[in-house]
Order: sequence, then C-alpha cells, then structure tokens
Amino acid sequence: MNAPGRSYWRSLEELAETPEFAALVEREVPRFRDVLAGVDRRRFLQLMAASMALGGLGSGLSACGPEPNPRQLLPYVEQPLGIIPGRSRYYATATTLDGYATGVLVASQMGRPVKIEGNPDHPASLGAASAIMQATILGLYDPRRAQSIVGHGQIDSWDGFVTALFERRDRLMAHHGEGLRLLTGTVTSPSLTAQIAALNKDFPGMQWHQWEPLHRDEERAAAKEAFGRPLDSVYDIGSADVIFAVESDLISAVPGWLAYARHFAARRRPAETGGRMSRVYAIESTPTLIGAKADHRLALRPAELAAAMRYLAAALGAGPQQWSQAQVKDADWLKAAAQDLKQHHGRALVHAGREQPAEIHLLAHAINGALGSFGATIRLIEPVAASPGSQQQSLHQLAADMMAGKVDTLLMLETNPLYTAPADVDFAAALKKVPLSADLALYADETTLASTWHIPAAHEYEAWSDARAFDGTITIQQPQLRRLYGGHSAQELLAVLLGNTMPVDYALLRAFWQSAAKQQGHADFEQFWHESVRIGVVANSAAAPVTATPTADLAAHLPAAAAEAKGLDLIFRPDEAAWDGRFADNPWLLEMPRAFTRLTWDNAALIAPSTAKRLGLATEDVVAIAAGDRQLRAPIFVLPGQAPDCVTLPLGFGRRAGGLGVGVGFDAYALRVVASPWLVAAKSLTKTGDTLRLATVQQHDRIAGRDLVHEGTLADFVKNPHFLKHEGNNESIYPAYKYPGNAWAMAVDLNSCIGCQACVVACQAENNVPVVGKDQVLAGREMHWLRIDRYYSGAADEPSVAFEPVPCMHCENAPCEVVCPVHATVHDHEGLNLMVYNRCVGTRFCSNNCPYKVRRFNFFAYAIEDDRPAESWNPEVTVRGRGVMEKCTYCIQRIRTTQIDALRENRPIRDGEIVTACQQSCPTQAIIFGDRNDPKSAVARRKASPLDYVLLEELNTRPRTSYSALIRNRNPLIKDDEA
Amino acid sequence: MAIFGPRANMLMNAALIAAAAGSVFLVMLIWLVPVMGYNSQERYIPPQPVPFSHKHHVSGLGLDCRYCHTTVEISQSAGMPATEICMTCHSQIWTNAAILAPVRQSLADDTPLRWTRVYTLPDYVYFDHSIHVAKGVGCTECHGPIGDMPLTRKATTLYMSWCLACHRDPAPHLRPLSEVFNPHWHRTPATPSGEQLMAAYHIHTRTLSDCGVCHR
Amino acid sequence: MTIADLPDAAPVVRPGVTLTSLSEEVSARVLRPHAPRWWWVGFGISLALLLVLVVAMAWLFINGIGVWGVNIPVAWGLAIAEYVWWIALASGGTIVSALFYLTRSPWRSATNRIAESMMLSAAACAGLMPIMHLGRPGFFYWLFPYSTVMGVWPQVRSPLWWDFICLLCYILMSIMFYYVGLLPDLATVRDLAQTRRKQILYGILALGWRGSARHWRNHQTVYFIMCAIMAPMVISVHSVVGLDFAGGLTPGWHSTQFPPYFFFGAVISGLALVIMLTILVRRGYGFQDIITEYHFNALAKVMLVGSLMLGYSYLWEAWGAVYGSSVADRSEFFFRIFGFYAPSYWAKIALNILIPQLLWLPAVRRSEIGLFLISVGIIVGMWLERFVIVIPSLSHNSIPSYWGVYYPTLWDWATLAGTIGLFLTLFFVFLRLFPIVSIAEVRELVQKRGSR
Repeated sequence: MNAPGRSYWRSLEELAETPEFAALVEREVPRFRDVLAGVDRRRFLQLMAASMALGGLGSGLSACGPEPNPRQLLPYVEQPLGIIPGRSRYYATATTLDGYATGVLVASQMGRPVKIEGNPDHPASLGAASAIMQATILGLYDPRRAQSIVGHGQIDSWDGFVTALFERRDRLMAHHGEGLRLLTGTVTSPSLTAQIAALNKDFPGMQWHQWEPLHRDEERAAAKEAFGRPLDSVYDIGSADVIFAVESDLISAVPGWLAYARHFAARRRPAETGGRMSRVYAIESTPTLIGAKADHRLALRPAELAAAMRYLAAALGAGPQQWSQAQVKDADWLKAAAQDLKQHHGRALVHAGREQPAEIHLLAHAINGALGSFGATIRLIEPVAASPGSQQQSLHQLAADMMAGKVDTLLMLETNPLYTAPADVDFAAALKKVPLSADLALYADETTLASTWHIPAAHEYEAWSDARAFDGTITIQQPQLRRLYGGHSAQELLAVLLGNTMPVDYALLRAFWQSAAKQQGHADFEQFWHESVRIGVVANSAAAPVTATPTADLAAHLPAAAAEAKGLDLIFRPDEAAWDGRFADNPWLLEMPRAFTRLTWDNAALIAPSTAKRLGLATEDVVAIAAGDRQLRAPIFVLPGQAPDCVTLPLGFGRRAGGLGVGVGFDAYALRVVASPWLVAAKSLTKTGDTLRLATVQQHDRIAGRDLVHEGTLADFVKNPHFLKHEGNNESIYPAYKYPGNAWAMAVDLNSCIGCQACVVACQAENNVPVVGKDQVLAGREMHWLRIDRYYSGAADEPSVAFEPVPCMHCENAPCEVVCPVHATVHDHEGLNLMVYNRCVGTRFCSNNCPYKVRRFNFFAYAIEDDRPAESWNPEVTVRGRGVMEKCTYCIQRIRTTQIDALRENRPIRDGEIVTACQQSCPTQAIIFGDRNDPKSAVARRKASPLDYVLLEELNTRPRTSYSALIRNRNPLIKDDEA
Repeated sequence: MAIFGPRANMLMNAALIAAAAGSVFLVMLIWLVPVMGYNSQERYIPPQPVPFSHKHHVSGLGLDCRYCHTTVEISQSAGMPATEICMTCHSQIWTNAAILAPVRQSLADDTPLRWTRVYTLPDYVYFDHSIHVAKGVGCTECHGPIGDMPLTRKATTLYMSWCLACHRDPAPHLRPLSEVFNPHWHRTPATPSGEQLMAAYHIHTRTLSDCGVCHR
Repeated sequence: MTIADLPDAAPVVRPGVTLTSLSEEVSARVLRPHAPRWWWVGFGISLALLLVLVVAMAWLFINGIGVWGVNIPVAWGLAIAEYVWWIALASGGTIVSALFYLTRSPWRSATNRIAESMMLSAAACAGLMPIMHLGRPGFFYWLFPYSTVMGVWPQVRSPLWWDFICLLCYILMSIMFYYVGLLPDLATVRDLAQTRRKQILYGILALGWRGSARHWRNHQTVYFIMCAIMAPMVISVHSVVGLDFAGGLTPGWHSTQFPPYFFFGAVISGLALVIMLTILVRRGYGFQDIITEYHFNALAKVMLVGSLMLGYSYLWEAWGAVYGSSVADRSEFFFRIFGFYAPSYWAKIALNILIPQLLWLPAVRRSEIGLFLISVGIIVGMWLERFVIVIPSLSHNSIPSYWGVYYPTLWDWATLAGTIGLFLTLFFVFLRLFPIVSIAEVRELVQKRGSR
C-alpha cells in the first residue's frame, strides 16, 4: 500500500518511520515487525520538536540536509509559546456539511491535529461529534488528496492560474461579466457571501449557481408556499411530548441533528424523568434512526405516505374532510395517532424528512399549524443559507446555458456536478463547451478531470474561513496546521477574480470581519476576534426567531391525491457515511458498519423481505434496475423494516475518480432525474444471476433467546419500575475482590442509543484502530473495538429494532484473563481489564473465551500496512503490530493522563473529568463512564436505575459495563404485534 | 578385532556427562546474555553534535535541571532545550568557541540540533517525567550521577525488571521534594524515611505495578 | 489374556521362528545395504509432503497467521484441531506400548516398537502445531517459566500453560522411553553388523550393552518404572488437552467430560494408526511369522472398546446439551448436528462409532483389509471430531451478533498435508535405522513358547 502522496509530504516524522528499513525488516525477519509496530507509529512524537521546526521552515528541509534516524532527538530552535511536548492542546473551529457548520475542538499534539471532538459551546454540537465529523481528520491527512495545480492537463502553478484568470478577467470586465458563472454548494459563510456580492457588483452579468446533490429544495418550496417566503425551521424537540415523524432525518441528518438527538434522548429516559417519556410515531419508506426509536412505526411506500398525511391532516382539521373518507392503510393506527397529537396541542411536533415531496412538507406545516407547534415546538428563522432557491433548477439552468455556449468562464468551488448531477443533466458534455472552467477540489475528482483548471482545495482545517450553523450561529474556522499539500481556499480563489493577485485567507477573513464587527457594533475588534476564534462561536450570532403562520387553506395549494402506486418505487437516500459521495474516499467511513444493514465497503439496493420473497431475490444477488431509459446493476440487500415494493438506492458510491472510493459500490445518481430527485418508478428489476459478496459485520439479526436485550413498555414500568429485574445468581466459590480505590465502570442506555455510529468512529480515531479493507471484513476480521449490534424482534416486515453498543465489558471475573498463558491480559486494581500488547504472543484463547466477542486480533500487520502519515496516529496509544490481540481499554490513556494530573495535584479525580472517546462523541449521552465507587457519580446513579442489567448475566462474569433496558411508550389504543 | 576397547565405556560416560553439562551451560546463557552490559547499553556514551557536559553546567555552574528541561514538571516529556535556550548564555560567553559552532549554526539557519538520545524506551512504554519528580523521585534515580558526567552516558539498564523494582518498593528511592533536582543529594540521618515520604506523597503501591500504569 | 488361552489358529508367534532366525530376520531389515523399493517410494512421497510443510511454514511466518482462515469469532482453526489430533495419535502409541506392558499382554511385544516409532513421529507433528498457530511464534519461549529482564512469569492458571508443560514432558519422556526399550536391540544389531561403520554407529548407540544379567536386571527395572510413569502420563497429557477446552466458557467446550472424552479419542485413534502401520510393516517386511492374526485380533478388540467408550461420550455430550439448562449450549449443539458443519458431525459418528461395530465379527478382526479400511476411517473420523469440537463451538458462540463461519484456506490444508509428510518421513527413518520389532521381547515369547 504505497501512497502516491508520500513522496510529496516528506516530513521528519514520516522519515522517522523509515519505510525502507521497515520494508527490509518485513522481508528479512517478519517477527521484528511486531516489535517495530509500536515503534514506528509513535516515533514522530519523539521527533515532534523537529516537525514544528519544520513547520516554520516550509517544506524544504528534507530536500536538503541529512535524514534523522529514530534515535535522534530534535529540539526546537525557538520554543513556540504554549506548546508543551507530550500534552494535547485544543483549538476551536468548525467543520461544514452541505454548507452548515458544526463546531469542533481539534486536539493537537505538537501542532499535529490528532483528534476531532465536539465543541460544547457550539449549539449544533453541544460536545458531540458525528462519525463523519470524526473522520474529517483522516480526510485531512489523506495522501490521495490532490496536490498540484493542473492547467490544461499540464502541472502548473498558482501564478500560472492567476495569470490565466487575470487575462480572462479583463475580457469579462469589458462586457460586464457576461458568460461568467460561479457554481458552489450551499453557502452559509458570511465572508464568502460578501465576496460573491462584491463579484456581482464588478460583474453584473455574472450568475451564481448552487448545487448540493442532497439539496433541500422540496422543504424550501413548501416553506415558500406556506409562509410566503423560504423560512428555516428550528425544532425544540425537547418540549415535544408527541412526535410524528414522516421518514424524518431529525436525529440523523438535518443540520443540527446532534443537538436535536441530545434533546430527543433526554425525553426518552423514563428512569431519569420519573416515568415520563415522549411518544414517537413514525411512518417511513426506508428505516431511519428515529423510526428505530419510534414507539409505533409503519412502513409505507411513498404514495401511501402522502395518503396517510392527508388523512392525518383531515383528522386534525388541517385539511378538507373528504380526505378522511379516502381509503388508507392502517386507518385506525392513524386515527389513534391523530387523537394523541390533538391531545398534546402545543406540545406536539410533525417533521418530514429532506427527501419527502413538497406536498408532504406542506401538509406537515399545515398539521403543525393546527397543533399550535409554531412558536412552541418549532421556531421559524430567516434562512441560514445565502439566497436559497431551487438548486435543481439552478444546476439545470447552468447546464443548459453551458450547452448553449453562453458560458465562457466557470468557477466551481468544492462541488462535483459531473458525478452528482441528475442523470438527465449531461454536465460532462456541457463542461466541454466551456473555454475556461476552474475547479477547486480536494481530490482530482470526476469534475476536476474534465475542467481546464484544477486547483487543489485547502482542507477546512487548513484555511481561515467562517460558516453558520443550523440556527444561524456563526463560527470562525481557524487552520490547524500548515497546508499539507498546498491548496487554496474558496475565498482566495474569488479574491483573485476581485483583483487581488496575492490573496491570503487570514487577511481576507480579518478584513471582512473588521467591517462586519463594526456594523454589529463591536467596539473592540481585537477582543471580539480573539474571543470568537477561541470559543469557536461568534457570540449571540444565532438568528432571531420570526413569527409566521402557514396560510390557512393549504388544500388549495396541493395537487390532487396521487393515484394508487403500482410497480416498484426507487427512492434515493444519502449513504450514512459516504454521504453524497464526498466521503467515499474516507477509509474510516467506508468501513463504518451502517446502522441497519451493518454493511461496509459497499452500498446495496435495499428491499423488504416480503418483496424479496415475491421476486425470488436474496441478499448479494446482483440485479439490473431500469428506470426510464437508464439502468444500473446493484447488489440486493434484504432489509427488514423496508416498505414493500420500495427499493432504496443509497447515493455516494461508484465514484469514477478521486481517491480510495473509486469503484466502490454502484452509482445511484445514474437513475436520478431533475423532475423527481428522490423518487422514480422502476421500469424493471431483473435478476442477472451474478452475485456480489457484501461485507456485513453482523450475520444474525435476532437475540436467539439470549439474555441480551431487556425490553418493556412504559405502562409496565410505571406500574412497577423493577418489572424487568430478575434475580441473577452470582454465587462464586471465591470471595468477591474488593476495589477500595476507583472502580471504573460504564453504563449504556439502550433508550438513548440511536445507532448513529459516532462512538464507533470516535473509538477508531482515539485508539488507532486500523482499517482492514473489504476482503478482511469478509474474512471476519474487522477491528472496531466498539460495535453497535442491531437486533430485530417481531415481524420481519415491521420489526422492532434495538441498537446495542458493545465495548469491552471489563468483567470482574474476566474469562479472557485466566486462559492467557503469558499474563498478556490481566486485571488491574481499579477493575480495568488490561491488554498488554507487547506481552501478547497471540494464542487467541482470550478471544475464544470472551462470551461478548469484543476482542480483535491483528491477523496481519494492519496498522503498518495502513497508509496514513505517521503524524495522524494518536501518540497516546500504542499502535499494535502483527499477531497481537487488542480490545477496548476504556480509553486507559485518558484515565492515566487525568490520574497523573490528579496525583500531581494530590487531589481525587472529579466525576466527569475522565471522558471516554465514545462517551464524548455520543450525541445522546447514551454512554456514561466514571467511578462506580462514588455514589454521586453519574455512572453510579445510572447503574442504580431499576432498568440496569448486564449482558449474559448467567455466566457470572460481573461486567463493569451495564445497560439500561429499552422502554417503549406505547399508545394503548394501538394494538400491533410489536409488543 | 575389538572395535570398542576397555576405555570405550569410560569415554561414553564422559561424553554423556559432558553433554549434560553442555546443555546446562546453554540454558544458563539464556539467563546470562540479557543481563550483560552490552545488551542493555549501560554506560554507553553516544556521540553528540556538541560535547555537552552536565558536569560543567550543573555541578560547575550550578544550573538547575529545569533551566533547560523546561517541561519536566508538567509533562511526560522532560523537554530538550531549544537552541535559543543555549544561546541565552552562549550569545554572551564562548561566543566563538569551535565546539559550539553547531549551536550557532542551528540558530543561524533555523535547523534543529540533532542530539542522539541516550535513553530510548520502546514505544509501548509510557513514561511520565512529571509524576515521578512530583512524587520525590530524583533525576539521578534513573539518570545516575548526571551531575558528574562530562559526557552523558546511559546509567541504568531500563529493563522492565528495573522499573518494577522501584514500582514495587518505591520507599528507598524517594527523597524530599526540595532535593529532587539536586544531583548530589544523598540520604542523611535527618532525611525522613522512605515510608514517611510515601505517606506524605500519597504513594500507594497497590496499583503501582499494574501493567496499565506504563502500557497503554 | 495370557498365553494359555491363545487360539491355536493364531499363535502369537508362528512356529518355526527360532531365536536366531528372529534376530537375523529383524536386524537384516536394518543392516541390509539397500532398502527395498517400496521404502524408497514411500520415503520419496514423504519428503515431497515434508517440502510442502516447509513452504507452508515459510509462507505463514512471513505473512502472518492471516494466511489461514481463522477469524473472530473462530480464532482457532485447523491448526488446533490437528494439534489435538496428532497428540491423540501419539498417545495411542504410548497406550499400546506402556499400558499393555503393565498388563503383560503378549501381543504387545511385536507391535510396541511400531507404536513407539509412531508415537515419536506424531508427537513431533503435535509439538509443531501450537507454535505455528501463535500470532507471534517467535515469542513462544515466553511460556517457559523464566524471568531475566522482564520480571514477569507465565500465567499458571491457564490451561494452555499446563498443556505446554505436559506436552514438553511427554515428548522428552517418550524419547527416553523409546531409546531405553531400543537398547538391547541396538546391541543385537551391533553384533550382527558386518561393516565397520555400522558396528561403530550401533555400538555407540548401544551404550556398551553387553546383555549381562546385571544389565538386564537394571534394564527391566528401569523399563518397568518408565511404563509405570508413561501410562498415567499419557492419560494426564490428554486430559490436559481436554482441559484446554473444558477450561473455556465457550458453549460446546465448557464441559467436565472433556478429559476422559479426549482420552477415549486418543485410545481409538492411536490404535487405528498402530493397526494401519502394523499391517503395512508386516506386509512390507514380511513379518507374517512374528506379527499374526493374534495381534490384530487383540488390537481390534481394544479399538472396539475405545469406539464404544467414545460413543458413550458422544451420547453424554448430546444429553448434556439437550437436557442442560444453557440456551447457548443447546443451540450450539443443534448447530453442530444440523448447522453449517453438520456433515462433519454425522461423518464422525459413522466413522468412529457405527462402522467400527463391524469389529464384533471375528472375521473382520482378523482380516487385514477390513481392519485397514476401518482404521483409515477412524483416523479420518477422529480428525473430523477434533474439527467439530473446535470450530462449530466458536462459530456459534454466546452472542448471536457475532456468529460467523470459518473456511480453511489453501494454507490450512497445506499445513495438514505437510505435517502428514513430517510424520511419514520420521517413521520411514525409524523403519530404516532401527529394528521395527522389539527383538528382545519377541525372543522372550519364543523362549516362553519353547518352555511350554
């Protein structure tokens, strides 16, 4: 696995691992690799001083001068202020997705970012960090990133580009910018928006197009329809007693979902809220996280969703009565839900997902209006994004103009239309007609290769910028390190067009904010600037709520009810991890098991068991799916909970250019059309006879009578909180061991866990867990220390879902410890089940003897073969070599760091002072870690809950990790087989 | 024609005994080789770009360890002095001594000095300077009579058994906090006993030899 | 049984065998300058297979354990199954030569050398397996109770460690046992040797044995004591191997019956291999006079008993799983008999229990062909049994989300073939270098017969 990038980025740390030597050793004495494994990867810390010196030096050093060997020790030349060798510093910034910002804190070791953590002060994060956010750090270091400016197929320079753009600029000036087009994603950055406004002044003829493949056009259209102008909704999910979710992405994808999930979960822990719990109804075509948490769920195909919504609207007096006469599936179910919603007037909330048609969004607005949700559970604000319009139309228009030759200069900023454009927009052909097209992109992607100029983009951790969050809050993004592969920011690019030949991102941003701050009436700019940058939030910049009510008679605005759907529906959804394709190059995300399918390294066409049965299909069958005159081949994955006759095609795979993701999975954009971006009718779905092996990490879906998931209803809980407790028999012939000091323990709440996988990737990032690749996952060798098991119960088509995060249980009677012949896994006096990598000889008996199967083995030298730069690994954790066992350590490195600080200060460790990586990233606080011996600690309190239980208690392993039983708040009026 | 003379048996017995003795010796080697000095590189003096003398700077001039090793009290790494720290003095004295040329060079073209590390720990071992000095373990406990070393040499084996010896019984290795950075300190009748110091520093050996203390 | 109740049809030693003819017959096989063609053919094939082992090991050590099919949950694969298989075969040899020496069974005398040669060859293969299967084989010596610079010791609570120690003692003991038994014959060969080189070679090996009464007395005492040690040792070795599994929490392993169960397995598989080899040696060297139906009859009877004991264990296992209270055990057992690996389960039942019942028929017990086929069946069946014990239990463990299957890779199979090669190579070497029938002991029989 030799990375092209390596040869470009030759820093001291990288040299420290001396690949040649490693290679030699690998060839000559395989055994030594084990010894080296730990060595190479942390070596950079011992040379970190050097790396900083290098930072000051520019990229030159290794070109000249001798290469240092690992035994060398390089101090600074000048000690930078505040940097302490061996201690992490945290810098606030933000990472953006589809334009919307989420605040992060970047842990930095000697100037090397090593870990992304949520920024507790940022409204969209509240301290949590999603899987995608965690993975951006790997994207930053990805050696496959584009590294040189290419003009007309030749390697060129920034100056070359500036010159080219400048001569074009004069021409454009001449005729007022006719033919100048700008294509961006959704833009929330105030500075960028200002620049574009300035451009419009200089070039009146310029047109600005926006395109996000996962656009929110339908939502916007509906809002425009309902309120007269496009307004954004901000939800106060915490105060909603009844939530009606229409394939809602409220706790999985909407901007700010981390915060929503936090408040959602706070209402789902009956043991902590005195037996009070919100109730969730979900109707959806394909499983969503909120659907999995729902107390009542219906799987309906799109047409049925619309019908159901009309029925609901009528039942709640938000629509004409004749709607309630229409025949709908599960009428009584809906009636009961409607009644429940009505009873909670002002404390109810209806939310429809991004992919739902404007019609359903409109109905949702109407119902919310009828339920008095606006101003109560929903706050309306002016749109956060700049000039929100239909992006579908925008892109379509652009492509048309390009075809017509009306465009002679096209600037594309971090967007990849050639891959993401709907199939009926032939962007490739259109692009050929543009004399000068410049693409600013992180990778040499599909669009890049077709444009005349490619400008490698600076990663968002490499440049100064700013962005707004879902509620309008502004974050000033600060760079975390010198640009690894050169690269330029969007602001710099536009500045050139504005006449600045030597744009510097810092100067541009500061200049903008100097004026902006003045307008906002900040007297002391320096103080404002430093505070904003330090905290990662521009103080009280959140958008003010506006009052608006949806127009009374929405029925008028609605098309006639759709006819009964026939045939198969094809629905397009973003992939949980690859998103719209921009993360298809990220190894962590590719190998992240998806919440429901538990699938890695592929996307698949998801269909319901009943449909699969009818069509004679099974998982891994490759089918040809045709819609209109287009078709694609995709492997089938049979997914319980999917709506019948409805095929979900995850977007974001089948990349044709870029990095690691090229050729992984199939490209679902091939069937997407402008007319209906999220849903097309399948012309045919035929079995090809081929099969494709899919790398799922969980083959068996049910608990098979094991004591794994405790589940009950709220009603029973209220009657008797201890209703799930059964007397476990924990007798042992040995006296129980005493833990007088700290007793580290973890409590996992199944009610809170929404299966978002944030903890899985957080653990991978914190603990240097290597990526193994599809083949190894197929061989059953994935390395994730923490996994989220997904169990189904009930009918296959309408299953009830339980997510169960499974880290190491740190059993007090650990079965793994007694069988290790060399003391490589032992218990410590605080109850941690330690794994001593350097002592492990690899008998693997510990894994065989672990009933929870949480141990992972380095069958190959995964970490060594992993091609991330050395400095991207966490120096606080040993990187494991070939042939050793590893597993969750409760983030022992964090425990030790805190312990040492506490010991130095001769004070006890405070509760909440030690936070494990999984706990830290969890948006719903499902995971709590702490000292069980301290009765006041959060973990002790949660373990005291009557719902607390441990896995496989009958084995008497006495796990330190315990779980809170899953409670569903069922509506007594609804009788379904789930209960 | 006898092939085996009368001495055959005797020879055979001798051979058997020799074989036995040989195998015992081989086994002994397994024990002996690791504890040989060349294996642990004890007393090894690696070449350095500048022949820096702790003897001169510490014992002679009386510099405090922390003047150069700035982070020893707050971080796992004691910290190597930045070139500018050397130059605080050497911009005034010995300004054109030949042996200091590399230092001046380093400042001049902003390239770090390249010292050779004397104490190399495997990367699966996490040693933290700050906690040791905070709990009364003097520099010389590990670095030997550093204050009297004209050239820095490795003073200890750094074997795990050596670490464990102290982690299992710290008392004899402790000293008053005021003396931690004193290279010439030695126990006097006046010094409080190791046990008293352990109590004072809240050192509990119960958890001190857990594997997880050093291995993560 | 004693010599008295021998059926005349099958004397333990055919009439016509005299003391001198016996010595010459047997040692001639060793002393003759040219080995027979069949020996060369067999030895050639063995070497070829041995080469496979060398390649397989090289590949394994260079690339790592990942070249095998092992994964999580099935972290132990063929290597461990074969380890148990080989050690069982080895033990079988010891049982014949040690256990039945104590019972003074006359039929042992002609077969014990074959059994012991096989024991050593199989033990070598068994010893190889645990080291090969380590993630970091280079560090296997950390299991030795020594501590120079690390200050840590092995974990004596671990069954693996007991196993390591047992295996070590067993192999060392077996070598001594073999050598001591061989001494008088080495002397015989030395005396009959014509060329000086052979005289010197065997002379040295014979350690100056002159067959004096004192020599014999000491030899008999030592040999008896060794047998007295070996007999319980072989039982303990296999019980401890059983504990490797019984000590685990894994459903299908966590059972108190494993130690005896494994011993029964050792008896039957060991005897099967002894019978196979005896038949081959007898044919190849034309030892019809000193290895007779009587031997086969007796060996077959013991094998039949072994098969019955094993059958009992199988029943016990099923009963425990079905009647027991553990959900995991029950579902694991049903997975064994109906699941992915079910064929191997039913095959082992047929080969180890059903077919051997033919041995009730005296005709079968005496027919070389019949015995040979049944023995081959049992050896395959026992390999399957080890497979069934190791793999399905792991693949169908306590936590359904982590159920997974294991497919042996090319390198797994290469390792199997290779160890067979190692076994055969060693055995052929024994065959060529040392008397494959214990001259001294058969003489004793002849003597007894004469005196009757």
